[in-house]
Amino acid sequence: MKVGFIGLGAMGRPMALHLHKAGHELFVWARRPAVVGDLPATVCATPAELGQQCAVVFTVVTSSADVENIALGKDGLIDGMAPGSVLVDCSTIAPETARLIAAKLAEKNIAMLDAPVSGGVQGAIDGTLAIMAGGLPETIEMVRPLLECLGQRIVHIGPNGAGQVAKACNQMIMVAAIQAAAEAMRLAAASGVDCAKVRQALAGGSAASRVLDVMGERMVQRNFSAGIEARLHHKDYGLVLEAARKSGAFMPLTATVAQQLNALMAQGMGRADTSSLLRVLEGK
Amino acid sequence: MKIGFIGLGIMGRPMALNLLKGGHSVTVWARRAESMQPLLDAGASGAANPTQAAQGNELVISMVADSPDVAEIMRGVAAAGQPGLVAVDMSTIAPAAARQIGVDLAAAGVDFMDAPVSGGEVGAIAGTLSIMAGGSDAAFAVAKPAFECMGKNIVHVGASGAGQVTKAANQIVTGMGVLAVAEAFAFAAKNGVDRSKVREALLGGFAYSKILENHGQRMLDRNFKPGFKSWMHEKDLNIVMQTAHELGLCLPGSAATAQMFNAMVGSGMGEEDSIAVLKLLENLSGQA
Repeated sequence: MKVGFIGLGAMGRPMALHLHKAGHELFVWARRPAVVGDLPATVCATPAELGQQCAVVFTVVTSSADVENIALGKDGLIDGMAPGSVLVDCSTIAPETARLIAAKLAEKNIAMLDAPVSGGVQGAIDGTLAIMAGGLPETIEMVRPLLECLGQRIVHIGPNGAGQVAKACNQMIMVAAIQAAAEAMRLAAASGVDCAKVRQALAGGSAASRVLDVMGERMVQRNFSAGIEARLHHKDYGLVLEAARKSGAFMPLTATVAQQLNALMAQGMGRADTSSLLRVLEGK
Repeated sequence: MKIGFIGLGIMGRPMALNLLKGGHSVTVWARRAESMQPLLDAGASGAANPTQAAQGNELVISMVADSPDVAEIMRGVAAAGQPGLVAVDMSTIAPAAARQIGVDLAAAGVDFMDAPVSGGEVGAIAGTLSIMAGGSDAAFAVAKPAFECMGKNIVHVGASGAGQVTKAANQIVTGMGVLAVAEAFAFAAKNGVDRSKVREALLGGFAYSKILENHGQRMLDRNFKPGFKSWMHEKDLNIVMQTAHELGLCLPGSAATAQMFNAMVGSGMGEEDSIAVLKLLENLSGQA
């Protein structure tokens, strides 16, 4: 199948490669064409041009505004994609933006899935991402073989926007768990106890988690090079709290964690791993 | 002075009336025509739109709900094509939005000032509002006689946006202040102590504040009528939290307070005064 791919960053590039390996013909567009590098793909001049060529287009970019521009802006996908084609947006954006884009595309009979992913760069490389999809069931079935190239756990959450709501929930739990791990490591160190031993002991009990495993290890090793750049979690927390506000849901812990992320940003650690929340607690 | 006034809600109407009382010639416009009638009865002229409300005036003032409203009104004001006009927005909006409107209006030769207020409906009626202004010295000089009809404590804080920054700071202090008094009362009650006595004792010490005195009394009376609606306080704290997010600023107390107001709106208390946060606390601790 001819598959379009926009957003060749740390996540997007390995995802695109999986589609290529599965035998699909790749078409790409990038704001900076240099990022395409040696990727085996046809480079298009605009998203619209890419849209003309492809039955399915994937986007994996940073912000709500990026996705909106690529899909609906000047020379956007909407000007090129044919009726019956599908946009699969794997970015993490606001649920209401996802709904808005889906509605505009639907006017031209172009289907859309919001299909944000979890699992990080390693999950993208291994093809083991968790994919949480919002959209029509028939749209999901249409692109399921493609999604299966990228991840093992593909869950249809509900209509458009529902995938992004699920991703917001994912980010809330994950970053709150990083903050909890950081506070535990901080308490251990401040009490003169070996952090590595504490982490090791906890990993066997009820407090065991992927975050304690991976981020806890980074904290013990004091290896704060990203992993996941904290600025992206900071961005996501803006979306989460906006969603909380829109729905009137009481989220006291999320609000507190968001402030620790603000402090992290203020201290210039936005491009380091989110395990740097430990350094915010240490005040150094 | 010839003044245009846009937005005649709970705050705007008494403010415009005080300008009339001060001897100014006032032209009004409001989205809902019926809100204009009390002002027309009091001697104001009516305009058909914001552009008309600006035309032929030295000063135009807006008092509305949110950033998009202000931006739209000020586009209309700019369309009056009146270089030298001073436009003052007294609504509470985001500092960044105010600065942008200032830049946009400067292109049309209009000098824009943000001048949000504190003091509520009571202060608006009595003409005793606190006014915190951001913008040029020249604009402040033009607006000052109008400010003096509406307020008492009038401070030119700094450049464009500085008024809104001050108002956001005000909402941090009042938001946390209301929550602090409510928590102290919940604490006293759960300990079986008479909260009215607690209030009385605290008023004499370092915990004294206007909020303890006024809002505290209304909590004791369980008078949750607005006053200042909790959805508006939620909106204002959202401005604080969004600005903090953009700047990378850690405000843990404001964040916790914002969530309490968010929960009030979510549980149907949005139209009640923000002191109804007391009820939320009581519910959380099974004191209802």
